[in-house]
Amino acid sequence: MAGSRFGRSVLFGTVIVLTGAGILGLATVSFGAATIGPTHKLDLVQKPASGIDALKAQYKRPSTIPFPKDNPYTPEKAALGKKLYFDTRLSLTSAQSCASCHSPGFGWGDGLAVGVGHGMAKLGRHSPTIINAAWSSIFMWDGRLPTLEDQALGPIQSPGEMNMQIDQLMDRLASIPEYKPLFEAAFPGEGMKVATLAKAIATYERTVVSERAPFDAWIDGDEKAISEEAKGGFALFNGKAQCSYCHEGWNFTNEGFQDIGLSSDDVGRGKFLPDVIKMQHAFKTPGLREISRRSPYMHDGSMATLEEVVDHYDHGGTDRPSRSDLIKPLGLTSQEKSDLVAFLRTLNSDLTPTAVPVLPR
Amino acid sequence: MRKLILLTLAIVAGLSAGALAATQMVHQQGRMFSAESLSVRKGDALTFLNDDTVPHNIMSTSPGNEFNLGSQPPGSMTDVTFKTAGNVQVICAIHPRMKMMVTVTE
Repeated sequence: MAGSRFGRSVLFGTVIVLTGAGILGLATVSFGAATIGPTHKLDLVQKPASGIDALKAQYKRPSTIPFPKDNPYTPEKAALGKKLYFDTRLSLTSAQSCASCHSPGFGWGDGLAVGVGHGMAKLGRHSPTIINAAWSSIFMWDGRLPTLEDQALGPIQSPGEMNMQIDQLMDRLASIPEYKPLFEAAFPGEGMKVATLAKAIATYERTVVSERAPFDAWIDGDEKAISEEAKGGFALFNGKAQCSYCHEGWNFTNEGFQDIGLSSDDVGRGKFLPDVIKMQHAFKTPGLREISRRSPYMHDGSMATLEEVVDHYDHGGTDRPSRSDLIKPLGLTSQEKSDLVAFLRTLNSDLTPTAVPVLPR
Repeated sequence: MRKLILLTLAIVAGLSAGALAATQMVHQQGRMFSAESLSVRKGDALTFLNDDTVPHNIMSTSPGNEFNLGSQPPGSMTDVTFKTAGNVQVICAIHPRMKMMVTVTE
């Protein structure tokens, strides 16, 4: 039979070409009470590929930091939050602060494969950076915490980390005279309590952002800002290497959770969604700003270099049911791999050094 | 013969379009649901269309209306029928920023 197309029907405001819509699967039995019908497969008319200028526009760095309505920025909150962030007395042993694992010296991480906690015991996962946390909508590698305020209290109380009971911490802070006026200035009428402690730390963290990188100068139109290899790497990032499907936009993440085929027993987000196949071994997609300062890479710090990371994606890792449908061998040439790495290196800015604050006594 | 084939296809497509047009459609372009909230009657369906460029895994754990479509590639279109009155929080498991509330009425 002649393979003539049926034609176009404008349905639901989307242009859909029905070329014999096939039924992919019969009604599958779901684990709950809603009924799932058969899945039809449509050939969507995708928008034509954007030109390079339209693509670059998607990567434009924002000019302001977002702060939540229930915790707006004030200089007093940020200054108090900075002191708390660097204060080792927030840990039981007075040996560890937030800055121990999220240090300005190491791209706001700690340069280790996995973090180190109470008693110098190794933790389970790589310390994430706090750079650009202001734009995050979900926190931790497994996404178990919804706000930065919630996350700030986590490691403080975790027995494996700072191991400090929150009531004990509030007593300890109350016994440091210079903290009281700082809390009063930052939170008039509220003073020193668990909620304001978390809000102060989160406010400071939101001020930690990636600064203008050579990549940003190129996005703004300076063709000399990055090398030709890096420009080739950007094209691959958005094309053959398919990185931008997850490492999307100016901050290089859409905060999706995927299993990328790493050989690690950690099930990540699967712990909270045990019935969802694609959540097993799935971890939050990190951003890529300042990436070459943030080695080693992956949730377990198992990759020391960006070259190893690119090789991993090129091979596709372990093929298993939970692996993202987007992960598969890419067939990159060695020039393409080195172009990708050259591009990633353009995402570093000249981060302003951070002065460690004088702490209250 | 060709005219007959075209006519048959037109009727079949017309029937399918008719059946599909009865439900509200939820689009997923740009890693976002086309609506933050929708209302639907008990026993009625919503059509989830992945018209995005990446796979999505639409699901809900809301009691009485749990469902899990699994990872579906772009182009997938599936009806989900809600059988219990109440609020249904629908998310994409892969992209949890994608959230919508479906209110199922009696």
